[in-house]
Amino acid sequence: MSARDIFVEVGAVFSRWLKKTFRRPAFVFFAMVQPVVWFLLFTQSFAKIADIPGFASSTGTNSYLTFFSAAVIIQTVLASAMQSGIGMVTDIESGYMDKMRVAPIHRFSILLGKVMSDGVRILLQSIIIIVLGVILGVTFATGIGGVLVILAIAVTFGIAWSGISTFIALATRNSEATLMISILTTFPLLFLSTAVMPQGLLPDFVQSVATYNPITYVANALHVLVITGYDWTTLGYGLLVILAVGAISLSATTVMFRRAVAS
Amino acid sequence: MRAVDGISFHVERGEVFGFLGPNGAGKSTTIKVLTTLLQKTAGSVTVDGINLEKDPSAIRKIIGYGSQEVSVDDDLTGRENLRLQCMFHHLHKADAEKRINEILKATGLEEAADRRAGTYSGGMRKRLDLATAIITRPKLLFLDEPTTGLDPQNRVAMWEYIKDLNKAGTTIFLTTQYMEEADRLAHRLCIIDNGKIVAGGTPAALKAEIGADVVQLALPDNGAAADRARARQVLGPVAGVQEIKDYDGGLMVFAKNGPSLVPEIVRKLDDVDVHITQISVSAPSLDDVFVKHTGRKMRVEEVTPPRRMVFGGRRRRPM
Repeated sequence: MSARDIFVEVGAVFSRWLKKTFRRPAFVFFAMVQPVVWFLLFTQSFAKIADIPGFASSTGTNSYLTFFSAAVIIQTVLASAMQSGIGMVTDIESGYMDKMRVAPIHRFSILLGKVMSDGVRILLQSIIIIVLGVILGVTFATGIGGVLVILAIAVTFGIAWSGISTFIALATRNSEATLMISILTTFPLLFLSTAVMPQGLLPDFVQSVATYNPITYVANALHVLVITGYDWTTLGYGLLVILAVGAISLSATTVMFRRAVAS
Repeated sequence: MRAVDGISFHVERGEVFGFLGPNGAGKSTTIKVLTTLLQKTAGSVTVDGINLEKDPSAIRKIIGYGSQEVSVDDDLTGRENLRLQCMFHHLHKADAEKRINEILKATGLEEAADRRAGTYSGGMRKRLDLATAIITRPKLLFLDEPTTGLDPQNRVAMWEYIKDLNKAGTTIFLTTQYMEEADRLAHRLCIIDNGKIVAGGTPAALKAEIGADVVQLALPDNGAAADRARARQVLGPVAGVQEIKDYDGGLMVFAKNGPSLVPEIVRKLDDVDVHITQISVSAPSLDDVFVKHTGRKMRVEEVTPPRRMVFGGRRRRPM
């Protein structure tokens, strides 16, 4: 199998998913409407959080909007990543997976093309959020460079997290179950992290949960990039967590995927 | 439980080979093993000299597979579906585009080519599905129940198309639960029941195995007793006649090579002044073959057509 062959087949899977994504009204909703709703709803209702003593000193900003922009990115990335697995189940259910398996393509290309398209989707959604944030008045302490790092974090974390959804999807082979389990795990994790509230203001038990919550470290990394500047320790932790989540979820997914497309 | 148990068969290059059997007989399981989709627990498969176990990807290069359920991507246009298939087979772009145009024409999908497959009718989706299976010009084409769920008109059109493909040189392995389909398309076939091959050969040979044609003689006045008796007397000794049975309008003669016996039967009856109002010969059908080997009639279960509801011209699925 030549390099050209692999390039062509991964490209085929990749372009198929991109087309499918952009031809669905649901994508437009998730990409555009949801971040707007989150931005407007939460930042308006919770604007006074910034006045709580200790907020400004622990976060470095007195704008909840600025602080919350990280949460919107994370929420959108999580929601987007959680849908990744559903496409895989739909393909198994519809027989399209078999159609690809009968073709002389490498099994891994089916997964790789899909993951790449998920990455592009998450990238576009994150760009939309950042543009929206700038329009609403979020300032990025690290400038354009920082925004690029934020996008890189969003995409890599999204791909890592999409492995969880694909794993659930391949394990259950049921699109509804996948969606349900995804929603049930995503939301609590988001609120049990530092994404929506600085660590010091969280209740004690949430603080201890947050310490073990991977989302906390990604949120912290985004927070410093938006609010204070490059803090290499925080960014390092974020990177480590993304790598760890990705290593676990993607290798579990690969095992599941091998089983699903065996032979 | 074993879906398929100890089956063995050989498909000749250039033929249409049929796998006939009722639902749940093991037809799809067999086709899935042969197309590398399912791993077998024992036995060996060789396709065009390639061992399935040793080199499945070499087999994938030379086969095409039309699954029982239509599996086209409804979010993509017909042309895009075909283009993807070409990319899965690593065809070069210019070659692929040429083939796509050819096949769109051949399957009558030219006009709908740039519409999303989700807007197609059931027959069109089936044709597009077949088109994706053959666009790579496979040496060996597997078709799993190609006409199940199609209306009679589309069924006949599909038969013609399959015949044309075969004439153009494609070896075809097809499964079916329709006797007529097997009879019309297959040069040779196997009858499979409960995971076992119960009979195999050309349709004509399988039917010949029944051993008898049915010659039906209608007699005047529904066959007077005297006429019946005389007829029995003269026809009994005729070579090839195995059994003579009464029926309400006359006699039924079971005989080997029924058609060739007709002149002799007519002559013998004329000799003893028994008139015939009507004579007909019917060959045994594949139905009779199935009954003979399994002891029961094959029931065709018409599964619901594998197309789902179309809402507003476009199917919706969760993302």
